[in-house]
Amino acid sequence: MTTDSVHAGGDPRRLLSEVHALAHRVRLDQRVTFFALLVLALVTFLAIPVDWLSLRADCGSPSSWVEVGENSRACHIHRQGAMFYWPPALLLAYGAIGWYAVRTARARGLGTRVLPYALTGVGLTVLFTAVWLWARWYLSAHPVPTEPFPEWVMVLDRLVAPAGTIGVALLVLARLERNVALLVFTLGYLALVLLPLNDLVHLHWGYGDIYGAFLPQQIFQGLVLLLGGIGFAIARRRQR
Amino acid sequence: MTAAAGTPEAHPVTGLDDVVHQRVRLGILTITHEARRVEFGYLRTQLALTAGNLSQHLGVLETAGLVEVEKGYAGKRGRTWITLTAAGDTALAEEIGRLKQLIARVETTDRTSATEER
Repeated sequence: MTTDSVHAGGDPRRLLSEVHALAHRVRLDQRVTFFALLVLALVTFLAIPVDWLSLRADCGSPSSWVEVGENSRACHIHRQGAMFYWPPALLLAYGAIGWYAVRTARARGLGTRVLPYALTGVGLTVLFTAVWLWARWYLSAHPVPTEPFPEWVMVLDRLVAPAGTIGVALLVLARLERNVALLVFTLGYLALVLLPLNDLVHLHWGYGDIYGAFLPQQIFQGLVLLLGGIGFAIARRRQR
Repeated sequence: MTAAAGTPEAHPVTGLDDVVHQRVRLGILTITHEARRVEFGYLRTQLALTAGNLSQHLGVLETAGLVEVEKGYAGKRGRTWITLTAAGDTALAEEIGRLKQLIARVETTDRTSATEER
């Protein structure tokens, strides 16, 4: 850049291209993509032992089994640990991401644009906690459904579960950072979250294969976030 | 300032604002718009300017009411933060709109000349 004034005889194309390059530079300097993904991967991995240790399956008595559809039965599973783990863990994660973004941006001499992302994350955390509490109240006040839920209900259920809300909030981050790579990554992650992976990969882990019903999905989701975080960190180092 | 174009037929150049239509000042507005709030040092580095030169341009923009300059401290070090005003936001959007119009007009003229030459 020079101090020359650009008048009608100047090149508007070059001026506009410089404007775009400067805007892009600022956005790159403001991005905290890798940190957000690494924190969310950590939270996802920490959920695995919490789930493992707190999962309770009541399949010991004939009365605990219910008929589900034709020739199929299910027993009661309690995931109390997940209920107490995810809301505070995600609130802390979004707090940490917001704090890191503000600290990093200030150190570089910039404002930050991550606040709407952190607020969306907090809002979605409150939403899924409310949905969980409502489902708990509903199931305690009504008989256990004997027919499987329609597929759209299951997709919605996965979307408002912690992993789903992480993906939705990441879409907001991709928009705020104008980050196409993060958008593509998040769409892939959401596809993984919404896919009934347990129907495809069901490991025979734990009593009645119950652990095998939850763990593969959590491991895959954590791995995807971790690899994404590492990938974005490497890309950032190359760009700087 | 140049008078804004009042009719659709007016050439986009007639709507250009001399305060904004200057490479450094346009750069300052662009960075400040993207960053929401930017420190003097970041602007100086990105625009490759001396402190005195940058201060001059910031003075012009501040006088025109397009940016706000706020001085403070980070620890013992003095810091100067720049934010875009609503008028600055509008001026930047209008300038970019005019530049796009200019490019479109130049391209149309080029195409017409090429056709006439054939």
